[in-house]
Amino acid sequence: MSFDFDYLLMQWPALLDGLWMTLQVSALSIVLSLLIGVLGAGIRLFKVPVLSQLVALYVELIRNTPILVQLFFIFYGLPAVGMKLSLYWSGVLCLSLWAGAYQIENLRGGLATIDKGLREAGMALNLQSRQFFRLIAIPIAFRISLPAMLNTAISLLKNSAYLQTIGLAELTFVAVDRIATDFRAIEMFAAICVIYLALVAVLALIAGRLEARLQRPFQQ
Amino acid sequence: MEFVIENWGFISKGLLMTLKLALVILLFTTVISVLLGTLATLQNRPLRWLIHGYVELFRSIPLIVNVFFIFFGAPLLGIDLSPFAAVTLGLTLWGSANGIEIVRGGLLSVPRHQWKSAWALGLRPWHIYFHIVAPQSLKAILPAYTGLLTLLVQATSLGALVGVGEFLKVGQIIVERSTMMGGESPAFTVYSAVLIVYFVICSALTWLSRYLERRLGRSASRITQPQP
Repeated sequence: MSFDFDYLLMQWPALLDGLWMTLQVSALSIVLSLLIGVLGAGIRLFKVPVLSQLVALYVELIRNTPILVQLFFIFYGLPAVGMKLSLYWSGVLCLSLWAGAYQIENLRGGLATIDKGLREAGMALNLQSRQFFRLIAIPIAFRISLPAMLNTAISLLKNSAYLQTIGLAELTFVAVDRIATDFRAIEMFAAICVIYLALVAVLALIAGRLEARLQRPFQQ
Repeated sequence: MEFVIENWGFISKGLLMTLKLALVILLFTTVISVLLGTLATLQNRPLRWLIHGYVELFRSIPLIVNVFFIFFGAPLLGIDLSPFAAVTLGLTLWGSANGIEIVRGGLLSVPRHQWKSAWALGLRPWHIYFHIVAPQSLKAILPAYTGLLTLLVQATSLGALVGVGEFLKVGQIIVERSTMMGGESPAFTVYSAVLIVYFVICSALTWLSRYLERRLGRSASRITQPQP
């Protein structure tokens, strides 16, 4: 069986539709996961009673269970107890919750590197606690956790492929759907592999640029 | 609760299959990782690039696409793969891509002077590797590798998608069956239970990873923990 390039050209519009859905879902989930990350890391940082423990449990729960099971729980489990979400929002919820847990840890890792000396220096300059966080701790922590945060965003994009299993018409779904009728598995999967590789490469490139940009003031 | 008692044989079979899958993949992954991870530390540029390309390729493609590619693609090339073999192959390719990076990072974390001192004492490269460098690199490798094992156990849930009767598949079947017979969907209970079981297994492994890290001390060179 030879590699049929014309077939791919014919299916190109369908793949583009899938790609568009993948990008849409991923972008929305990346934004939401960052919100969850900032909120969760803040709660953990200030040791808000009860909530802090709940956030810790949430992070452990997400990191120690397969994302596929989380997805099934959200898409099949929640409607059974009356919480019905659309296909699209189930997907977004699953990806945001998953990546959110990782973003909390990434941000916490960055904040953990803030030296005690900085705190003391801030106090010597008569900075309020809030000013210290806004002007010193958060900018530094953000720069340190940025690589890990971007990595998580890239992982989220890859993991959007799992939404195929619940039937959201993203890139992998389109490919598998076409294979079921045309049996052109090699062509289709090769095509989406190339697309995913390109997406990840572009994101990694942007990530690299951004990191270099943020490091610029600190280069000797 | 009746579910569990009624379906106990079925559930335990699924759990065993998950563990079997994870162990087989772990075995293959370890062999490939140690071999290619060691080769990647040699001063051979083409070889290093080749291994680097392999690592980046399988870390960039979504795992589910990787498994589907093998499962649906192999028959078209005339290769007959059972679902079990397809999942094992797919997850091993992905797992070893992560494993190679861990082993490579671990070996490079051993200071250069260890090599040089051993060389000066007249040890053969072979002996240096097995007696000096490899044991010291374990300090950096073990915690990260246990972390990878956690991810492998989680990734075996992909078996459910291609028809391996592992733990998640068992959950799916129980949900379908009870929905058809009883009319009411037990999806919430069943998937909660599946989540909890994975949570217990993986938390134990995560705990082990953290324990090893504390016990062995954080190594100087950072090994990036793989992400699913």
